[in-house]
Amino acid sequence: MWWILIKLAWRNIFRNKRRTLIAATAIGIGLAALIFVDALMIGIAENMVRTATASFLGDAQIHREGFRDAQEVSLTIQALDKVTTGLAQEEIVEHFTQRTLASGMITSPANVSAVVLVGVHPPTEKFLSQIDEAITEGVYFAGESSRDIVIGAKLAETLEIGLGDRVVVTVAQAESGDLSQEMFRISGIYQFAGEEMNSGMAFVRIEKAREMLAIGNAAHEIAIKFTSLAYAQDPTLLFWETYSEHGNEVLSWTELMSQLTAILEMTQYSKYIMGAILFGVVVFGIINTLFMSLYERMFEFGVLRAVGTRPFGMARVILFEAGALAIVSIGLGAILGFVLTAVFAHVGIDYTGIEMTGVTMQEVIRPVMTVEQFTAYPVWLFIFTIIAGLYPARYAAKMSPAAAMRRSF
Amino acid sequence: MEQAQKTDVIVTAGVTKVYEADGVPVNALNGVDLTIRSGEFTALVGPSGSGKTTFLNIISGLDSPTEGSVWLAGKVLSEMSGNELSDFRRDNIGFVFQAYNLIPVLTVEENVEYIMLLAGVSKAERHDRVIVMLEAVGLEGVADRTPTQLSGGQQQRVAIARAMVSEPQIILADEPTANLDSKTGADLLEMMRHLNVETGMTFIFSTHDPMVMEGATRLITLRDGQIDTDETR
Repeated sequence: MWWILIKLAWRNIFRNKRRTLIAATAIGIGLAALIFVDALMIGIAENMVRTATASFLGDAQIHREGFRDAQEVSLTIQALDKVTTGLAQEEIVEHFTQRTLASGMITSPANVSAVVLVGVHPPTEKFLSQIDEAITEGVYFAGESSRDIVIGAKLAETLEIGLGDRVVVTVAQAESGDLSQEMFRISGIYQFAGEEMNSGMAFVRIEKAREMLAIGNAAHEIAIKFTSLAYAQDPTLLFWETYSEHGNEVLSWTELMSQLTAILEMTQYSKYIMGAILFGVVVFGIINTLFMSLYERMFEFGVLRAVGTRPFGMARVILFEAGALAIVSIGLGAILGFVLTAVFAHVGIDYTGIEMTGVTMQEVIRPVMTVEQFTAYPVWLFIFTIIAGLYPARYAAKMSPAAAMRRSF
Repeated sequence: MEQAQKTDVIVTAGVTKVYEADGVPVNALNGVDLTIRSGEFTALVGPSGSGKTTFLNIISGLDSPTEGSVWLAGKVLSEMSGNELSDFRRDNIGFVFQAYNLIPVLTVEENVEYIMLLAGVSKAERHDRVIVMLEAVGLEGVADRTPTQLSGGQQQRVAIARAMVSEPQIILADEPTANLDSKTGADLLEMMRHLNVETGMTFIFSTHDPMVMEGATRLITLRDGQIDTDETR
């Protein structure tokens, strides 16, 4: 019995091939749009996260508790040797690097500017940040000189200095608060898409920074790169507990850039809203198509009812037609969505230089296809189509056979 | 009435049907009392608007009367639920319509076996009965064709095969020859009469066709929703 109704429904939707094709294409475009937008949002999110973490942040960071709020130079990481030894043995940690961070002043013969002086260990820093790749003039700590300093192009412009020029950096020492001044020579100038890094940071070797700050072999920050970014978003890992001991705290990028996390969550919601709107359009399209088809075949439905098809049987015919339409639409939509996403994933969408929530895009955005886009969305579309079919199905079930066959008995 | 139910196939008592047409009540049937006995080959005639269609709708359970009752094969139609009425029609009434009888997306075999599918008849039995019925209506070898590949006369024959395949007590036909040429119409009528004699099934059909009226064993004329004449031959 089911088989004949399924057969009837499947053949019925191809009776008016043009209408079915138009309806299926419209629904398919909705699905394709959903797949593409989802892929694009994943691409944007990955790009933003990659930009944020790869530029300088890292996937996670360790600090002394309270350092991020107070920015006190004396708040260095506790049990640093134990922490670094542990990190070196962690399988999920690909690279890590130590840094010192201190607010200070940088002075040139022409000008003065506030700056965050970052002490870095160049051999390991290159795995955690992209300063070396962003160098536009000079080199990134190529020699052995402890007086090399690397600054952003914007800061160089403010200070009216160039490569090889001298600057004086002043910072406050830990514990005593005494001022410490050192002269550096500009060895490299970098240019990031983001203004903040270009104008407010200066990089020196960590040994020199430690000496200026009088913190011995301590560090304020350890930036970590995991073997997979997914670890940064897995709060169940023992890693987070292990490195939050001794008065230290370890935070993933999601906590370090909470505004970015919030935006990404909002993006998810906007995706659901767009999905709901698209599915809403699809639902009305399906109802319209099914009713048009139903009105055209009123007499046939009357015949089916007259010869003994139960009301629920009539409803099933309509629901099967809705299902058949959904299957054709899903096929079209999935192909269209795949092609569209694949093309843009290959070509990329150039948002380079555009700042979103404090993150400046540095790469072209490439939509990312996932299995979910080709499983969950089609399943939802199928369910929505069946739900949409309930209204015309109910109409068909309640239809009086005599009314349907006005032209006959 | 108890006695009548045992021998009479269709009994109507005071059947009245009032329609609303643009807010104006229209009396399609006015207290029709009629008894149809098993094996009759009855023609229902009358001018357009006389109530033939409404009457056939009501005695088949496709529509309900405003007043009055209908007994069909001993059952009171108004006491049945929607599903019971569907099953009852499936098992007891065969329908032949004026045109557009068949489901165009189904083959001839699928059209004929549809009612048996609803009744849960096995595949092998369905196939055998379809072949027998198609032979009975002179349509051997067309089981795999679709209705659009058949002539109007052949389509009506398939409709008759479908109507008779589940061996119902009654066949209701609405102007079955209206869209056929006279030769095809005559052949169809002859075939229906033959099946009526052979199987003893009751045939009731509305018609304007004098040839059909001529072939009927009972001729009922409706006028203004009432029986005008009732002539048994």
